[in-house]
Amino acid sequence: MTGRLMAIAALIAFLLGIVVATFSETRIFMPALLRGAAVTLQVAGLSFLLMVAAALTAGAAKTSPFPPVRWMAGAYIEIFRGTSLLVQLFWFYFVMPEFGVTLPAMAAGVLGIGLNFGAYGAEIVRGAIQSVPKGQREAATALNIKPLHRLVRIVMPQAMIIMVPPMGNLTIEMVKATSVVSAVTLVDITYASVQQNQIHYRTVEIFMVTLVLYYCLSQLIRFSMGVLEARATRHLCTGH
Amino acid sequence: MTQPKIKFDRVTKRYGPLTVLNQICLDIDPGELVTIIGPSGSGKTTVLRVLMTLESIDDGVIYIDGEPFNKMRAGGALAPASNAHIRRLRARIGMVFQNFNLFPHMSALDNCIEAPIHSLGLARGEAVNRADELLDMVGLAGLRSRYPSQLSGGQQQRVAIARALAMQPEILLFDEPTSALDPEMVGEVLQVIRDLASAHSYTMLLVTHQMGFAREVSDRVCFFDAGQFVEQGPPQELLGSPKNERARQFLSKVLEAR
Repeated sequence: MTGRLMAIAALIAFLLGIVVATFSETRIFMPALLRGAAVTLQVAGLSFLLMVAAALTAGAAKTSPFPPVRWMAGAYIEIFRGTSLLVQLFWFYFVMPEFGVTLPAMAAGVLGIGLNFGAYGAEIVRGAIQSVPKGQREAATALNIKPLHRLVRIVMPQAMIIMVPPMGNLTIEMVKATSVVSAVTLVDITYASVQQNQIHYRTVEIFMVTLVLYYCLSQLIRFSMGVLEARATRHLCTGH
Repeated sequence: MTQPKIKFDRVTKRYGPLTVLNQICLDIDPGELVTIIGPSGSGKTTVLRVLMTLESIDDGVIYIDGEPFNKMRAGGALAPASNAHIRRLRARIGMVFQNFNLFPHMSALDNCIEAPIHSLGLARGEAVNRADELLDMVGLAGLRSRYPSQLSGGQQQRVAIARALAMQPEILLFDEPTSALDPEMVGEVLQVIRDLASAHSYTMLLVTHQMGFAREVSDRVCFFDAGQFVEQGPPQELLGSPKNERARQFLSKVLEAR
């Protein structure tokens, strides 16, 4: 794992080196792009937290024995999966003020992205919960364990193993989709690149750096998910 | 006359058009070990599953210590049982499954203390002490920190028995406890059950295909077929010279195969 990571880091450093060495005016646009990267990181981080919270809640709610709880979760999932992410952002940023709710651009962006991807995540969580063998729930019932405790202590830890890889995938998708926040006036990596390109016309250099920055973010997630997966599965094979 | 520990009163269970339990009646005395035998698919496992509340029943009443279990007394009549009522009576029953159903993400010890801490409200230290005693009793004292994937089938089933005992039940249900085991591990699990039967006062209900074992430990053997108890009696009698034709056929097939 570390060897691979080192190789990736070396590759990234090498590419960055080429960019820095070859293109003399990098430092003119670089600070703006890094400020954009900070915004992207913030949007992605907060959206991730909201996505996971929404996915776990709605996914678990979809397996509830109480029909109204299932319907509410189903309505949330259908609304956010069934409509466009961009339009959802517009609603949070431009339409909500019409009803007296004014949100800062960052809040609107995080709400839109977090809830949208949370709806996809909810289906992953639901599937993972349902794939835990029935015998596990029956054993918990036979031990008189209450349903909520059973979900948290017995079912979820086993569902984690199944949900982590597709959730990692979804998170990478989510990070790349954060570029839509430029539509609600946030200057993220993508928007910063467009702005810098309009000022300096260093098209190749600027968008190359943009790609590398996104790639670094994705690798960070991939690595974190690898760690999580290893933790979740550590007891399931012998020889550990 | 002693009050039966468990009483099935005309209990019926249907899956769609299929009637799995057809108005079954069965009284089990405190401390009695009753074995249920019968062909595969006859519904004998369902008898245990409805008693453990893993399946709902469509008709009839199950009594534990004279108290209705799937119903509760309200005024003079029987009303559907509340969750609290079911939880209170269910605490008297423990179950051992064919496929062990240990929690794979917990060590043997954690499997045995999770429910006592959560459901019985024991302090952790006390739960650990008792779990250690039980693991010792089933011959697994040194393996408390192993995970289920690191244990053999026989060891897993013995942990599962310790886990059920940790809840201090009065009634123990064994659903084909050795059917998923390799032959060389059957003996160690049967020995644990044998010890439980001889040294403790549990009321036990056992579904098994081990006829020799049934004959040896049971107080009574019941032959179950087509949704009903067809014949029951002392093990020597029922296994030796059954009166019922279907029981005779079943036993001759089973004994032939051995």
